[in-house]
Amino acid sequence: MSRKLVIDPVTRIEGHGKVTVHLDDDGNVLDARLHVVEFRGYEKFVQGHPFWEAPMLMQRICGICFVSHHLGGAKVLDDMIGVGAGSGTGVTVTAEKIRRLGHYAQMLQSHVTAYFYLVVPEMMLGMDAAPEQRNLLGLIQADPELMRRVIMLRKWGQEVIKTVFGKRMHGISSVPGGVDKNVSVAERDRLLNGEEGLPSISEVIDYAQDGLRLFHEFHAKNRSQVDGFANVPVLSMSLADAEGNVDYYHGALRIVDEDKKVVREFDYHDYLDHFSEAVELWSYMKFPFLKDLGRDRGSVRVGPLARMNVTKSLSTPLAQEALERFHAYTDGAPNNMTLHTNWARAIEVLHAAELIEELLRDPDLQKQDLVVTAAPEAWVGEGVGVVEAPRGTLLHHYRASAEGDITFANLIVATTQNNQILNRTVRSVAEDYLVGHGEITEAMMNAIEVGIRAFDPCLSCATHAFGQMPLIVTVLDSAGNVLNERVR
Amino acid sequence: MPPVRLADFDDDACLIYGIGNVGRQDDGLGWAFIDWLEAQGRCPNAQLQRNYQLLLEDAELISTKERVLFIDATKDETVTSFTWARAAPKIDFTFTSHAISIPAIMATCEQCFERVPEVHVLAIRGFEFELEMGLTPGAQSNLNDATADLLSGSIGCIPVGHESKECR
Repeated sequence: MSRKLVIDPVTRIEGHGKVTVHLDDDGNVLDARLHVVEFRGYEKFVQGHPFWEAPMLMQRICGICFVSHHLGGAKVLDDMIGVGAGSGTGVTVTAEKIRRLGHYAQMLQSHVTAYFYLVVPEMMLGMDAAPEQRNLLGLIQADPELMRRVIMLRKWGQEVIKTVFGKRMHGISSVPGGVDKNVSVAERDRLLNGEEGLPSISEVIDYAQDGLRLFHEFHAKNRSQVDGFANVPVLSMSLADAEGNVDYYHGALRIVDEDKKVVREFDYHDYLDHFSEAVELWSYMKFPFLKDLGRDRGSVRVGPLARMNVTKSLSTPLAQEALERFHAYTDGAPNNMTLHTNWARAIEVLHAAELIEELLRDPDLQKQDLVVTAAPEAWVGEGVGVVEAPRGTLLHHYRASAEGDITFANLIVATTQNNQILNRTVRSVAEDYLVGHGEITEAMMNAIEVGIRAFDPCLSCATHAFGQMPLIVTVLDSAGNVLNERVR
Repeated sequence: MPPVRLADFDDDACLIYGIGNVGRQDDGLGWAFIDWLEAQGRCPNAQLQRNYQLLLEDAELISTKERVLFIDATKDETVTSFTWARAAPKIDFTFTSHAISIPAIMATCEQCFERVPEVHVLAIRGFEFELEMGLTPGAQSNLNDATADLLSGSIGCIPVGHESKECR
């Protein structure tokens, strides 16, 4: 008789998920599945809308990474009007830098949310701590000064977003062929120098290093637990520049294997030539994979850990120093330790802060050349846009009629790219934590959640739960009879 | 119970914060109250704010104020029209990123910024929360009750410690 454990919903991830762990009579894991049962209809209901509305509509998918969707869509629009990256024209230097500024700000504030609000409570208060303590408010009680710094860091990131997009959520900056405003000297100086209630850039870069400090302290005390938690080898994918370094806004899609050998590098406009998608009856989320390698070998990891595996270096001094330590830990080999995703995320918080400082000190942000106006005959009517969203590679693809109405849209979000590896991670954790344990403990249930949470998955981009959602573990036999159940 | 005077919030050290979503019918009550203030030209010196939900960063925002009024819709069936109450800091562990309580924001403010303002909560009963613009007639009537009583000075402020649980 086989058994099935159900963890539903998964707490403290961006959206609701359900986990089932299927056990045999001996308690061995037969299978583990992350069920995604939310339905996302954006590709359908955007059809018929004017093409230029797409980046505004698509960003409503998410209240966390709306900038990524906005910019992914904006790059598609550049293609559609004939000024995309492959057209030989491209947007202006100022427009691209302003887009990058907003993008890095979102990388900062999204990672700060994911890392400090969702992950750090576990690191500081313990995976086994009671749920009513192991959350953000418990952290506020445990270390109010740290949380003050985190709040100010996130606030600053939001202020950069507001400067670029006009408001802190779902603002608008990008238009077909560019952006609609630059950054004034006053806006720049406010972000660089700070003001009452807003930190300066030097304080931001100091606060941004808190994540790394915390990770290293936690890692030093819990090395075997952190390193041994769900070590799942897989291909890593990221946008990269010509030198093979991560570029969060633009580049080629580079995929490296377990020896860091580049197994694929291609223009993202050709993604359909390389990727296929599998489906399962138990999930609405597809399983992308490289066609010629097949689903088992050709699934990829995206996101912070994958980016740090792909990149050879980082462009800013403190982040580069942190990356060198990260790479040295595995002697230069790819890092597939799931909880090291949080290390990679902390590096990217710092990298984003340094990149923002570079841009704020760049006089191009004050220039007036914001939009490239394309000739009507340049209209292509189709485009693909890819950016590295905080959670990983995000792809938008639209087609429009000659009248400019959208006829087709396809999105591959980071969590979809990670779907296969997410399921493998759940299985790995289940094998390590559940087998041989007669009792279904809170810590065991939470271990599965920790594995999922490391990916910061965005399942529906609609609901965000931090620890008070009901959690039910049900043990079922192969006939569906309840053998055991635990509720919190 | 001392009467509540709207004029007490007409100061740049005051924040009047409407919580809700105008795209979900009566969830827009908080914003509708701010609309009313603006239309009437009342409390021009206060900082007026509309937001879909409270965020943790609001702890920093209220730390800069002496007095704060939050306005939100309530579904509580025991509330016939509206309630006005003082709120107190409390880590209540009901936190999600889409819903953090006013007491939890105040407690975060107190813990992280070492001060907490005087906080009032106006909770107005709403009835329908579906995807649609505009208040229902019942919610509009309750908003009218609240604004009329506020202008007439007939609202008695519930002391701290007696805040209504129905205030979201």
